[in-house]
Amino acid sequence: MLEYQNLFTRVQIRTVPDPGIPIDESTGQRYGTGFFNSLAGKFGDAQIGPIYLGWAGILSLIFGFIAFEIIGLNMWRSVGWDPVEFVRQLPWLALEPPPPQYGLRLPPLDQGGWYLMAGFFLTLSIFLWWIRVYRRARALQMGTHLPWAFASAIFLYLTFFIQPLLVGSWSEMVPFGLFPHLDWTSAFSIRYGNLYYNPFHALSIAFLYGSAVLFAMHGATILAVARMGGQNEIEQITDRGTAAERSMLFWRWCMGFNATMESIHRWAWWFAVLTTFTGGIGILLTGTVVDNWYLWGVKHGLVSSYPDQNVIAPDQKDFLRGRYQGTTPDSFPTYVVPQPAMMPDSAAMMTDSLSADSLATDSLRTDSTAAAKPAAATTTPPGGNTP
Amino acid sequence: MRRLAPLALVLVGACGDGKTDSVQVGFRGTAMEQGYDRGDLKAKFATVNIPAPPPPAGESPPGPLPWKNVQVLNDISVAEFNRTMIAMSTWVAGTGNCAYCHNLANMASDTLPSGAPIYTKLVARRMLQMTRQINGQYQQHVANTGVTCYTCHVGKPLPSGLWFYNKQTDYLRHYLDRDGARVITQSVAPTPENRSSVKQTEWTYALMISQSKSLGVNCTYCHNSRQFASWREAPPARVKAYHGIMMLRDVNQNYLSPLQPVYPAVRLGPMGDAPKAQCLTCHNGAYKPLYGAQMTKDFPALWGRPDWNGVPFPGLGLPADSAAAATDSTVTPAPSAMPRPSSGSAGSN
Repeated sequence: MLEYQNLFTRVQIRTVPDPGIPIDESTGQRYGTGFFNSLAGKFGDAQIGPIYLGWAGILSLIFGFIAFEIIGLNMWRSVGWDPVEFVRQLPWLALEPPPPQYGLRLPPLDQGGWYLMAGFFLTLSIFLWWIRVYRRARALQMGTHLPWAFASAIFLYLTFFIQPLLVGSWSEMVPFGLFPHLDWTSAFSIRYGNLYYNPFHALSIAFLYGSAVLFAMHGATILAVARMGGQNEIEQITDRGTAAERSMLFWRWCMGFNATMESIHRWAWWFAVLTTFTGGIGILLTGTVVDNWYLWGVKHGLVSSYPDQNVIAPDQKDFLRGRYQGTTPDSFPTYVVPQPAMMPDSAAMMTDSLSADSLATDSLRTDSTAAAKPAAATTTPPGGNTP
Repeated sequence: MRRLAPLALVLVGACGDGKTDSVQVGFRGTAMEQGYDRGDLKAKFATVNIPAPPPPAGESPPGPLPWKNVQVLNDISVAEFNRTMIAMSTWVAGTGNCAYCHNLANMASDTLPSGAPIYTKLVARRMLQMTRQINGQYQQHVANTGVTCYTCHVGKPLPSGLWFYNKQTDYLRHYLDRDGARVITQSVAPTPENRSSVKQTEWTYALMISQSKSLGVNCTYCHNSRQFASWREAPPARVKAYHGIMMLRDVNQNYLSPLQPVYPAVRLGPMGDAPKAQCLTCHNGAYKPLYGAQMTKDFPALWGRPDWNGVPFPGLGLPADSAAAATDSTVTPAPSAMPRPSSGSAGSN
């Protein structure tokens, strides 16, 4: 049987847990003394804890829990507090943003008020967690690469809230829910004429896929030279050993160029950071600067042209163009049951019209080109003519 | 050999089971395809049972009917009238069940002996008007196949897919009283004309999926998905579907909803509205209702015109003057009370 053998996977050290370096504990302290877990040791370090939370961590968890509860309880309420239905329908349940007609006005709680509250607490929680990440990095006298990379992801998250503010409606925000947020993604792309033609979306995908490729290349390279001490990556940055030499030689042979033990990590960091950063820019431009990315692509020669698939007569064009669903800021439809539509002749139909032998002139005998002429055709749609 | 097993799986997957036809519906290389599962289609075909039409009425020119209170089918002969009534009972009420719509003591009456109105008769009368309206005004959707009562009723008093107002059917209100379903801007930059929300896009999406399910087709049957709004890149089926939406709006606004006061409470929705139609009502999961079976050609009373596809109905003698009028292109059609979907070729097929 094949088994990967490495110093770290074969040997788990059991000793007094390492509490880490002394730090200023005036703003919070480490909890616990740490313990060992052999399963954790299979995947990473066998020592678990002690953990540091600090004020930012504690507040972040509290606000995150509040947001989680608001979302979860609203979902549960949406199935009438039925625990079975809650579990069964969970992937489709959502806490939705306010309906379009509220614009940026304050909606009632059950009309998206809860959504805004959950979004506020979730954002607060994420900001506090960022502060915690930043402060822990400084406490260990590390660089701040981690908090800034995290900040890039937070930037993308925030654009999903900023873009709706720019276009003037809470309703454009992403619903909280598993499938609902995916449906939103699909609808967002269709609404703005296919997001694949958004160049910043394209950049974001390029960086995302690039991140995966770099991750695979780097991970594979280091594992491949582990028998030469490649897992001691950091030492090899400053003190090249045979692992570093061979891995770099490998890529030089394969593609004529190689990153260094140090620069490969900058490649990876920038690709990851730019994935979310370019994506966020793409979101901010959508609906504010560009409303139809496909037509933007046509304008700038991005879209390949195919022969017409459909011959549309000029007089058909206006008819086929149809009308927009939302035409003015206040035209967003609300759910209003229309008045019961009354048929003009239904009163006559209700009475016994035996005596009324008024037969309309028929279509067959007099005018066949007029096609069928309903005897009781109406000139206006009764009742149901709301915009 | 064991190492090759995953490779074999890939090969089998690529070859498929050979029972699916993939039909190209757009320009090559654009993934505009429809997949048809032969076994699935065969099973669906088997579910379609077209009732045999009653024997033709024979030589019977339309004349004054000997009955009173005939409000719609007053332009056909006695024999044709009876034949149509018998067919309707088969299609909707169950064969020979005249009492479903009629007071047997007085067939002309719209009320029972007790004086209560027979709602089924009132509805049936309106449905006959609707059938003629569809066959006459919406040729761009129903073409020469047309519709009969059976197209939707398929032997049942209540057709499939009837819907009422509630939160879940909100997207279907496009079929009734909503403005356009369009959400994609027709210009690069944002315009004040289009304030459509992403939520409204989801409603349009839901509407489209309901059509997709109703017809048993996928998005590329009508759209090039790289730009859903583009008519130029869309298959011609989309134009047909658009006329269908217009038709449903007419049908729901002018024929189904207004019957609300006629129905007994048991037939109304939870908000007191009349049952309404959607694509599924006629299509029943088929891209053409009844997979394109042509029933209307046997029923001049439902077609509403003396010729079908340019061929006069057999035995339907026409008075000479009206036959001349039919071929005279200078005759202006009587002003239609309905807003016509297009001033173009409606009725000219």
